[in-house]
Amino acid sequence: MDKVTDRSPVGGEFEPAPDDGLIICRCEEITKGEIRRAVYDGMYTLAEVRRYLRAGMGLCQGQTCRRLVMGIMAKQLNIPPDEQEPEVSRAPARPVEMRALANTTWEGVGGL
Amino acid sequence: MEHYDLAVVGAGPAGLSAAIEAAGAGMGVVVFDENAKPGGQLFKQIHKFFGSKEHKAKTRGFQIGRELLEEARAVGVKAELNSAVVAVYGNRELAVSQGEKIKRVKSDAIIIATGASENMTPFEGWTLPGVIGAGAAQTLMNLHGVMPGKRVLMLGSGNVGLVVSYQLLQAGCQVVAVADIARTIGGYGVHASKIARCGVPFYLSHTIIKAQGDGKVENVIIGETDAKRELIPGTERCFEADTVCVAVGLSPMSQLLGQAGCRMVNEPQKGGFVPKVNEYGETDIKGIYAAGDVSGIEEASAAMIEGRISGAAAANAAGFMPDGEFKARFEECETSLAQLRRGMFAPGRKGAEQSETDEGIPLSRALLSKGYIDENELSAFPGFRDCSALSETYPVIECTQNIPCNPCQDVCPKGCIHVGNDITALPVLNPKASCSACGMCVAACSGQAIFLVQPHYEPGYALVTIPYEFFPLPQKGDKGTALSRSGEALCPAQVVDVRDAKALDNTRLLSIKVPSSHLNRARFFVKGDFANG
Ligand SMILES: Cc1cc2nc3c(=O)[nH]c(=O)nc-3n(C[C@H](O)[C@H](O)[C@H](O)COP(=O)(O)OP(=O)(O)OC[C@H]3O[C@@H](n4cnc5c(N)ncnc54)[C@H](O)[C@@H]3O)c2cc1C
Ligand code: SF4
Ligand code: SF4
Repeated sequence: MDKVTDRSPVGGEFEPAPDDGLIICRCEEITKGEIRRAVYDGMYTLAEVRRYLRAGMGLCQGQTCRRLVMGIMAKQLNIPPDEQEPEVSRAPARPVEMRALANTTWEGVGGL
Repeated sequence: MEHYDLAVVGAGPAGLSAAIEAAGAGMGVVVFDENAKPGGQLFKQIHKFFGSKEHKAKTRGFQIGRELLEEARAVGVKAELNSAVVAVYGNRELAVSQGEKIKRVKSDAIIIATGASENMTPFEGWTLPGVIGAGAAQTLMNLHGVMPGKRVLMLGSGNVGLVVSYQLLQAGCQVVAVADIARTIGGYGVHASKIARCGVPFYLSHTIIKAQGDGKVENVIIGETDAKRELIPGTERCFEADTVCVAVGLSPMSQLLGQAGCRMVNEPQKGGFVPKVNEYGETDIKGIYAAGDVSGIEEASAAMIEGRISGAAAANAAGFMPDGEFKARFEECETSLAQLRRGMFAPGRKGAEQSETDEGIPLSRALLSKGYIDENELSAFPGFRDCSALSETYPVIECTQNIPCNPCQDVCPKGCIHVGNDITALPVLNPKASCSACGMCVAACSGQAIFLVQPHYEPGYALVTIPYEFFPLPQKGDKGTALSRSGEALCPAQVVDVRDAKALDNTRLLSIKVPSSHLNRARFFVKGDFANG
């Protein structure tokens, strides 16, 4: 599990569940089924699921759904939730207008 | 680029306390907050706080907020509002979003005090309008004067769920139920009792199945769960409600610390991902500190002390506070913090099954599962004495769990109530002291757990004095109904006195006349005929 190359499916066929239609990430409208499917497809960390589905990449930046997404992933992976890798936090921590970014000089900054 | 000795992110109780401490030592301090007003959660908290005098016990949260702001102003803390910090870098540079600009700021030290965000739980219909966080409901009511709904179902029986339920009742909403999947109530028993006697039912071992309605919440279905937290079929119950308040815990908003590169750890006891910090709140990056809920969910009282410690540590590290002074300050704060972190709800004990108090008295099971103590359990506790033969007034203290709190002891001019040096000990009624019926304890008790009883007010009648914080205020002479601890209509009652004074701080004292047989049962009053409900 901790090796990047170890991507064998979590087991058997993907099994649909009755609550797969439940929206989990409200900003990007990502459902529970999509998240379970992403894990099944080999996305084992929050960062991967975010890139794959955009869950947690919307307006609230995962403030509401991060915990929920991680819980669903842990269940699907059959591991305790607190054994998961932490999310990667990146700037900006809040939505910022493009013009605000354009109005700023960025010399000497590691990257925003 | 602007340069400060110390930049604080978040103007809640932790951030403001840190800034006050550091500025008081002579540092040039700036505080950024994304809100238009400083104070963080404090200005939403209209209830009286627990703790002891030094923790500002029996003071309402917003009042503590005002005091902090005044202190901050006096020592020259500069607060920049409507300023969200969008980035913090390991080299101690911050990016602050202000209007149409992003300002870059350099600071020798940074204290992150960004608080927490509310957890959510998904269920069928949770995206319908009407499903909101309990904290959001509190913001609507107490900051903006808007009722979140008319009939509310509260999901979660922790302190947030209990306190917000009480405030919803104060705002004039009906709380149709408090439901929690846990088997026992998560918050303080005294908070639960405040709403139980208003008639709010608790549904423990219950989960929400769905909220439904046409474009908005119109009704909510909950059901009972078994030991494995699976729904027991056939136990579904439907409530007509327009609002579901979700109070299922908070998560530290620690993203800025992760961004800066601080070492993060997942600690479920603290609410999730928190930075690894030392005893001063300093992270593994020198000069970057975390204080308050962001480093572990606790309470405002603890957040303020953590802020003080980090502020003083930053001042000491930068040479603004001599070692000796810092050591003394730190020890003082540590002692104060240790007092708060004891008792039944101490951070280490949270969630653990407990069966007795520190004194060895079995905990009231009724209180844990129904929200109120059974009358016959009361005599086991040291705040209760059967004095029904006495002719004078005496207090009945229905505070039966070890919580860090002692204003009842502090305010009594007659020495009737004893808590002792360990503020988590249960309050004990002193049999030798005689009560003057001043009512100070009734109003000061943050848990509204003290009642005055006068057994022989008139032949056949007793007088019960209760704390009262609702509008419209009943008037002297009003006839109505006395309610029991469970909110059940007991008997006819008449208001014979309503006391209000500055020292009572808006907790009115209602004295009601009830038949003597109900003196140990009558704990709330509503207007309206007994017979007609
Ligand atoms: C309903 C309820 C009842 C409570 N009752 C009690 C009680 O009776 N007694 C008690 O002691 N405690 C109580 N608490 C807990 C208490 O409110 C918190 O523990 C306390 O407010 C934490 O303080 P803080 O300074 O860490 O965070 P907060 O008060 O949350 O302040 C954080 C501040 O940081 C700002 N911020 C966040 N991110 C950024 C950013 N990126 N840029 C700029 N600013 C930012 C926020 O706007 C906010 O103003 C209660 C909490 C709730 C929700
Ligand atoms: S009513 Fe006054 S004298 Fe009596 S116990 Fe309370 S504070 Fe003390
Ligand atoms: S009885 Fe005393 S210790 Fe208990 S909640 Fe009231 S003031 Fe606090």
